[in-house]
Amino acid sequence: MKNRLKVLRAERNWSQQALADELGVSRQSVNAIETGRYDPSLPLAFQIAEVFDLAIEEIFLRD
Amino acid sequence: MTGAARTSRPGLWGGLMIGTAAVILALKSSGAINGPTAYILTIIPIAFMFVTARSLASARNPACGPAGNRAARRYTMGMMATSIAYMLGLGIAIWTFNNLEPSVTVTWGLAMLPIAPILAMIYVMGRYIVEEQDEYLRHRAIIASLIGLGFVLAIGSFWGFLETFELVPHVPGWWAVPIWAMGMGLGQAWQSMGQKMDSSDEE
Repeated sequence: MKNRLKVLRAERNWSQQALADELGVSRQSVNAIETGRYDPSLPLAFQIAEVFDLAIEEIFLRD
Repeated sequence: MTGAARTSRPGLWGGLMIGTAAVILALKSSGAINGPTAYILTIIPIAFMFVTARSLASARNPACGPAGNRAARRYTMGMMATSIAYMLGLGIAIWTFNNLEPSVTVTWGLAMLPIAPILAMIYVMGRYIVEEQDEYLRHRAIIASLIGLGFVLAIGSFWGFLETFELVPHVPGWWAVPIWAMGMGLGQAWQSMGQKMDSSDEE
């Protein structure tokens, strides 16, 4: 699944670590999601959407 | 210093892994221990490999959340405790068996001394997977465990048939856990390499 995490993070000038801290996960997790190596669970996807104050479909896109 | 930093010492664990492997090799080469004993003792560097793999993940993961840190810390402590119990249990069992001519009943009990810590090691691994709160790290641990299981099934079947046709010597069944651990270590290393190649971030 594609996502706009890196772009959204850059727009807010957040580091991967800052986003990871906000989500309560490891920086590795953020990196794996951004690079498409790992698709987050639905609860984590909702949490990401909440942090960015966006809908899930505005962050995660179908291939 | 954070809890994660305290438990993430891949250099230390990796050094202990290589160091203990070198000592066992040296003891075997010098004739101080026989072949079977050397094989059994390989569980020690293998246990350190478990811890090294875990600490490598933690070292790259300084903020995996308090629950995640707790799971990694319990894993490290559990592996250390079971490794020490294994070494002690094995030493007592071998010495008693060789020197005191125990009865069959006592020998059953002696055999349990190294078996129980091995079972505990497997439990510690399972508990880590259950307790790890970071879903990506849990996913990685599960993938690594499956790769380890694949090694056990592939090597076990391969060797088993060669043994059936008397092409290779018999290998004791307890090799299953060391082979699983080696496969798991390789699985973690493979995933770390993949992540490093894909990594596009600022540390």
